[in-house]
Amino acid sequence: MTRQPRAFRLDDPDVVTIRADEPAPERRGAVVVTEEPMEAIEAADGALVPLAPRRGLSWVGVLMSALGGLVTLALGLGLERLIVDLFVASPVLGWVALGLALVALVAFLAVVVREIAGMFRERRIEKLREAAIDAIAVKDHEAAKRVVRDLITLYGERTHTAAGRKRLTAWADEIIEADDRIALAERELVAPLDLAAKRAVAGAAKQVSVVTAISPRAIVDVAFVIFAAVRLLRRISMIYGGRPGLLGFLRLARAAFGHLAVTGGVAVGDSIVQQVLGLGLAARISAKLGEGVLNGLMTARFGLAAIAVCRPLPFLREEPPRLGDVAGELLTSAGAEAPGR
Amino acid sequence: MSFLTGIAARAGATAQTLWDAGSQLLQPTLRLGVTGLARSGKTVFTTALVHHLVEGHALPALRASAQGRIRRARLDHQPDDVVPRFPYEEHVAALVKERRWPRSTERIGELRLDIEYERAAGWRQGPATLSLDIVDYPGEWLLDLALIDADYRDWSRRTIEASGRPARAALAAPWHESLAALDPAGSADEMVAERASEAFKTYLAALRAGPEAVATTPPGRFLMPGDLAGSQALTFAPLELSPDRPSAPKTLAALMERRFEAYKTHVVRPFFRDHFQRIDRQIVLVDVLAAVDAGPAALAELEEALDQVLLTFRTGRSSFFAHLFSPRADRVLFAATKADHVHHTSHDRLEALLRLLVARATRRTEAAGARVGTVALASVRATRETSVREGWDTLQAVAGTPEPGERVGGEIFDGKAEAAVFPGELPERPEEVLEGAVPPGSLRFPRFRPPKLAVDALGRSGRLPHIRLDRALEFLIGDYLS
Repeated sequence: MTRQPRAFRLDDPDVVTIRADEPAPERRGAVVVTEEPMEAIEAADGALVPLAPRRGLSWVGVLMSALGGLVTLALGLGLERLIVDLFVASPVLGWVALGLALVALVAFLAVVVREIAGMFRERRIEKLREAAIDAIAVKDHEAAKRVVRDLITLYGERTHTAAGRKRLTAWADEIIEADDRIALAERELVAPLDLAAKRAVAGAAKQVSVVTAISPRAIVDVAFVIFAAVRLLRRISMIYGGRPGLLGFLRLARAAFGHLAVTGGVAVGDSIVQQVLGLGLAARISAKLGEGVLNGLMTARFGLAAIAVCRPLPFLREEPPRLGDVAGELLTSAGAEAPGR
Repeated sequence: MSFLTGIAARAGATAQTLWDAGSQLLQPTLRLGVTGLARSGKTVFTTALVHHLVEGHALPALRASAQGRIRRARLDHQPDDVVPRFPYEEHVAALVKERRWPRSTERIGELRLDIEYERAAGWRQGPATLSLDIVDYPGEWLLDLALIDADYRDWSRRTIEASGRPARAALAAPWHESLAALDPAGSADEMVAERASEAFKTYLAALRAGPEAVATTPPGRFLMPGDLAGSQALTFAPLELSPDRPSAPKTLAALMERRFEAYKTHVVRPFFRDHFQRIDRQIVLVDVLAAVDAGPAALAELEEALDQVLLTFRTGRSSFFAHLFSPRADRVLFAATKADHVHHTSHDRLEALLRLLVARATRRTEAAGARVGTVALASVRATRETSVREGWDTLQAVAGTPEPGERVGGEIFDGKAEAAVFPGELPERPEEVLEGAVPPGSLRFPRFRPPKLAVDALGRSGRLPHIRLDRALEFLIGDYLS
């Protein structure tokens, strides 16, 4: 049944106007008009977090590049001298050295190519995320289609996404809202990866907490935490389709730490009480155990930040993972009966 | 002949753009084409846009503003000295102090806004200025653009045909009578021409006042003569011509045809060349709700009118050379205005309706390589959102001050009382409206007065609220401010 247009005069004595946070008056027969907040529309649209502007050319960068160039020149000169000297000493040695230098050059080029390819891939994923945010902001349908197309190519080599890719391609010409289209791609292609990433974070957190709880030396703890973080970041990046080399990895790590700094280490929806309680109880049982839990939590935090920077889409309809999802087990297994989650 | 004038017009425009290109390098300018039929809200959109930028209000969805990179914006001297200035201050005063909408625009108005911002990307960083040129004009004139490619014979036939539709027959009766009395082959008497034109103008005015008047019938200057009132170029009317015989010289038909061509050459073409040919970004404002209110026939007419207008615009991917020699809009935003008349939970449906209306134009624009976006917006938000509980039933309504004389479900308003209005439910499937599946009277969108703004102790009034104006701006000019 369709409802007919109606008008309620606000100066009518039978109409009661209240604000959203006030309780409804207990009057029979009255019409209650509840004023909703003006910002409801912006809230419904989903406020966008502006991305930090990219940094441009910096003088430190120029200095580093110039110094790097000089060092390269020095190395080249040294190498050349070495080979010439070897030729003087014995032609055979000289040829061997030349061959080695060539092999080194080829390997170096291969490494550089791989690094650059990895960087581009990271950049592509980042661009994809930005494009998705832009497309949703103004409901740009062409852009949404492009995002989904790019996503399909990005995951084109993975067999387990075949079914999802096929469905998305079938939907390509359907008339769907821009944000729904991207959300579909999120569900079909990215959600399974979220699961894998969450599992990776949980595993790493558990491992770190166990190792640091039983390790004899603080230095071992530190080394292992760093090692685990590095491995976790690489792993998450691979899960979401990145192939970070060293440079790509450094970029990602910087972004992840930046993200950690922005979120202040406390993700939305996390109850800090639970963490303090869990940690406190664990620490009471044993100082070493408490340390282990703390290290595990830190790793989990870092893992969440890594997910946020490696994921090719922002979290739209899927729930972003919370600390409880990846480290909940850690807290309960540490002996604390965490209050119901 | 029209081919030659077309080339001449193109050459003139190219010379103009070459000249502009030099200054473009020094100070980038962006011409924003605000397009919309009469009463679609062009003036209010332009006023609100300038208001928020000049007053430096936070516009969260405009990235440059959210990052705090817009230092200030100010009104500058406009580039064309001949064109009147857009009376921005007058319009703001009308909205804020008198709480009335600006009067319908009767002549063209131009405005240049200099936005000083911090450049964040590209090879030149730091302070920069972007000049934004906006033109406001009577919406009645817009449909004239569809005349550019028409000839007199063709136009006569189509106009007379359209006036024969059942819904218009009554309105057109007096004009048809005078039309039947005219002899196209008769002598070119000035008095006869004037009377014919008068009768035609009366018919056009009656059409505009009629119930399904969402789009006006060209020629627009007949309704809004602007500075051409009384000019001979406005003294013509369609005639019933036999399809194959060319009109002999010195007959009434020849006179009318000459005037029609003069109207195109001296009125329509310069209007198009000066204000539309060189736009970089385009926003098309569509008052979807008014058309829905008026029924399926009005919607169909609106669709047709929009399509005709948009056909004349050049859109497509822009490049440096394209910018020089054949400028085109590379982003087109379709906006359903007056979104504040429905609760935000219905905005998606409103947008779906808009997309249905502009589907043809969208496909064409996208095929040309331009980016197309759609948005439901309110340049000035006249209502607050409420939920109304009556017994067990809860309605999502909007509250504001309806204009005097508006009526909703038996209630007639005086322009002072506030009311929460439930406008009915927009259909889930937009096609339903066109199919006539929505029973008449199940939707009602009364007009509201502009919002009451709180005035602080210094007598300054607050900002005009809006819905998604910042999003529209981000789409239109966001990349220029990056």
